[in-house]
Amino acid sequence: MASILHAPLKLNLLHTHTSLFCRRPLAISSPPHFHSSTLTLKLKGRGNAATITCNAQPAPAAVNLAPGTPVRPTSILVVGATGTLGRQIVRRALDEGYDVRCLVRPRPAPADFLRDWGATVVNADLSKPETIPATLVGVHTVIDCATGRPEEPIKTVDWEGKVALIQCAKAMGIQKFVFFSIHNCDKHPEVPLMEIKYCTEKFLRDSGLNHIVIRLCGFMQGLIGQYAVPILEEKSVWGTDAPTRIAYMDTQDIARLMFIALRNENINGKLLTFAGPRAWTTQEVITLCERLAGQDANVTTVPVSVLRFTRQLTRLFEWTSDVADRLAFSEVLTSDTVFSVPMAETYNLLGVDAKDISSLEKYLQDYFTNILKKLKDIKAQSKQTDIYF
Amino acid sequence: MSTATAALTSTIFGNQNPCNRRWIKISHPQVAKGGRRSFVTIAAASSTGKDKKNQQKKKNKRKEVQEEEKVPPENGETGEVSTATTTTTSVTAIKSRLDEVNPVGLGRKSRQIFDEVWRKFSGLGQISRTTRTDDDEAALLMREGGPMCEFAIPGAQNTTVLVVGATSRVGRIVVRKLMLRGYTVKALVRKAEKEVVDMLPTSVEIVTGDVGEPSTLKAAVEGCNKIIYCATARSSITGDLNRVDHLGVYNLTKAFQDYNNKLAQLRSGKSSKSKLLISKFKSEDTLNGWEVRQGTYFQDVVATKYDGGMDAKFEFTEEGDAVFSGYVFTRGGFVELSKKLSLPLGCTLDRYEGLVFSVGGNGRSYVIILEAGPLADTSQSKMYFARISTKAGFCRVRVPFSSFRPVKPEDPPLDPFLVHTLTIRFEPRRQRPVEGPVAVKQDLRSFQLILEYIKALPTGQETDFILVSCTGSGIESTRREQVLKAKKAGEDSLRRSGLGYTIIRPGPLMEEPGGQRALIFDQGNRISQGISCADVADICVKALHDSTARNKSFDVCYEYVAEPGKELYELVAHLPDKANNYLTPALSVLEKNT
Repeated sequence: MASILHAPLKLNLLHTHTSLFCRRPLAISSPPHFHSSTLTLKLKGRGNAATITCNAQPAPAAVNLAPGTPVRPTSILVVGATGTLGRQIVRRALDEGYDVRCLVRPRPAPADFLRDWGATVVNADLSKPETIPATLVGVHTVIDCATGRPEEPIKTVDWEGKVALIQCAKAMGIQKFVFFSIHNCDKHPEVPLMEIKYCTEKFLRDSGLNHIVIRLCGFMQGLIGQYAVPILEEKSVWGTDAPTRIAYMDTQDIARLMFIALRNENINGKLLTFAGPRAWTTQEVITLCERLAGQDANVTTVPVSVLRFTRQLTRLFEWTSDVADRLAFSEVLTSDTVFSVPMAETYNLLGVDAKDISSLEKYLQDYFTNILKKLKDIKAQSKQTDIYF
Repeated sequence: MSTATAALTSTIFGNQNPCNRRWIKISHPQVAKGGRRSFVTIAAASSTGKDKKNQQKKKNKRKEVQEEEKVPPENGETGEVSTATTTTTSVTAIKSRLDEVNPVGLGRKSRQIFDEVWRKFSGLGQISRTTRTDDDEAALLMREGGPMCEFAIPGAQNTTVLVVGATSRVGRIVVRKLMLRGYTVKALVRKAEKEVVDMLPTSVEIVTGDVGEPSTLKAAVEGCNKIIYCATARSSITGDLNRVDHLGVYNLTKAFQDYNNKLAQLRSGKSSKSKLLISKFKSEDTLNGWEVRQGTYFQDVVATKYDGGMDAKFEFTEEGDAVFSGYVFTRGGFVELSKKLSLPLGCTLDRYEGLVFSVGGNGRSYVIILEAGPLADTSQSKMYFARISTKAGFCRVRVPFSSFRPVKPEDPPLDPFLVHTLTIRFEPRRQRPVEGPVAVKQDLRSFQLILEYIKALPTGQETDFILVSCTGSGIESTRREQVLKAKKAGEDSLRRSGLGYTIIRPGPLMEEPGGQRALIFDQGNRISQGISCADVADICVKALHDSTARNKSFDVCYEYVAEPGKELYELVAHLPDKANNYLTPALSVLEKNT
């Protein structure tokens, strides 16, 4: 691991307007056989769909040079542990008896809750590849559920960072790699994040690592902040009139199924898609929240065409490209897809009972009963203080 | 909708392209509709001398705009307003109106509204990305339960658990599981070294102490409701085994009982941990109601002629002791001390789980006999007995009700509710000479029993002390005996302690994730398989609040699939899962107090 080799990672960014051309060798250690992999990331600019192509030629029979110290099969590394899904994975893993290490970006407010649950936190940054290898020492399985923050450029973490992580994992003999992707990411190359996820899937497949790719549709946890909280606070809720249906799923269920899949050797190298029991439109979710909260929502419906138009417009300028990327899902929204997948086969494969997967109604109902009860308590308390003071 | 849309698009332009639109107008239709003050805010235009071509990133732009906002207003608008308002009514009104049109405030307000609108708008185009909730907020939600937390247990918040051996293979996972469920956790460690502390979650309270040193345990049990003991000796040296596996358990149970007693005293006998006084022999008249009787088990005509007979008396001595003493030389004879119990009003013995005798004397063993049956008709009473042995000198003996056996085997087990008479019987049979210097010249047929008090031990619903022991399989045969002996002694001292206990004897431990395979719960040494550490930890945590786990000892291991026809015993197998509580049904079929 001492020699630093130049991974032949070519990122050819052809951007007519900005000429963001970069050829950046990643300073990470990688075994010699990895020289054959080539990656090209092309972003054709100005109004055209950005395309990314990648090809990593599989290494000719990876030779395990030194057996090294055997790692415990219970040691896992979770990348993106502070995220919505990541934290549920950490909790689940700890509960099932794994030794969990979390890769967390160094930041002023450290993720104390992870340490509080009993996980080990290591500081590293995917966008700084030299920090990665140290975190992988003694790890058996890597679970990658990280996605770049909305405010940062999509490329740094989601593409360059992931490539560096996979290369490191390969070089350091990680025995299993779990990657979370997005459902239908192969069908929407016009959305940069989905395109990147699809390319990462391919890159992972070609890397020769033992891996599982899990594609996800949507998280129930995200609906709380988007709809439930604004409705309770009597603020306006924004929704689109898009007919797209999304099969939201509880992240706790995702974490549970993921670990079942992880331990099942038959699922090695497979692509699984997890979807919730039912697909919902935005309007349906809002109606459900209204019913459970017992109050009407202040709904602002934004036509999808506006979103699209904004995206087109923001794409015109280089400095608004981040915004354009963020709005890119409007393409998916307008394409009238049902963002779901039949799960019977997956349940069968994993040996899971469909009854154990929580539905959105149940999830939101639990949330609202809990919150409303708490609000009532607070109100009762404040009343009492009114009397005495 | 078209106006709203237009406003929206304009806001977006306003944010992204502020250079050519210095006049930002934001209207928020929803707020207006809601009956609140509508914000038609006007951001003050600043110098237009900006270089349009030198376009910079959004963040920089924001900063500049904010800086611009802080620049005190110089344009005529505010001046006009202020001069107009000074002539009018009150100063406060002026101030408030000034605030309304103050470009700094307006700028800020518009910025806030604007950011909110923008956040929501761009959020619409998202599918898989979720809005990031604040870490603290989310953690709080999880701690408080609700849909964020599938692990939450109702009783967890008010429960403090002491984990002994928190860095062991099982203990490590126990601590994590407890933390996830919201318990307050204390960990007993020998040395608070850095690597030890790093292994434990940050909010675990670390207590330094050694189970071999009773003095160090007082601080450890302070404030604890329950104890999980998963420490084990690191070597097979007898001294080590004895120290951790036997005396360690003994010391800790003792410390815990002392702490419970202290609590009970503080609450002047009213706490659930308080014992019920049945008899206290502190004066002459407390001996009233006790009667001395003699009898023989069988009639031996020849022997009675030559035997020396028997005699016994119960008296209050000048030293202030209630002494039951005498001799039984007759073969098959016995003497007994008996009393009809009169309990305080509202107290019944079924709320208690045993008796404790504080006695002294010359170390004979006695038989405690309880008569139970309806008070109205004592002829229907049934007899139950249990043997106790005392030490030379004073000691306290605990007798759980469950250890009483019916005299007639066909009678049902003892129901403490029906107990009406207590008898202490001495018989010369099965007496063992007392060890030590007192043993010189003993006549085992004579006895002396100094009674101090008799109390009933309070019962509890849940277990207080969980001990992770071992079945002995998987240990190399040379040290198995040694290890088992120490573990057994530890288990026994826990059973005798009077605490509610759960003893888990897992098969050979394996380091693998838990919840994967069916488990067998069994009593008796029939375990052949291993078990994962995580499953043992899970049983520990589940047993904390499970009434069926109280006072049980059981073996547990992975399911063994026997060939058909060769099954030795009925399997009680349950697959652990989040949905089902496998422990209760598995344990309810097992016997207590084994």
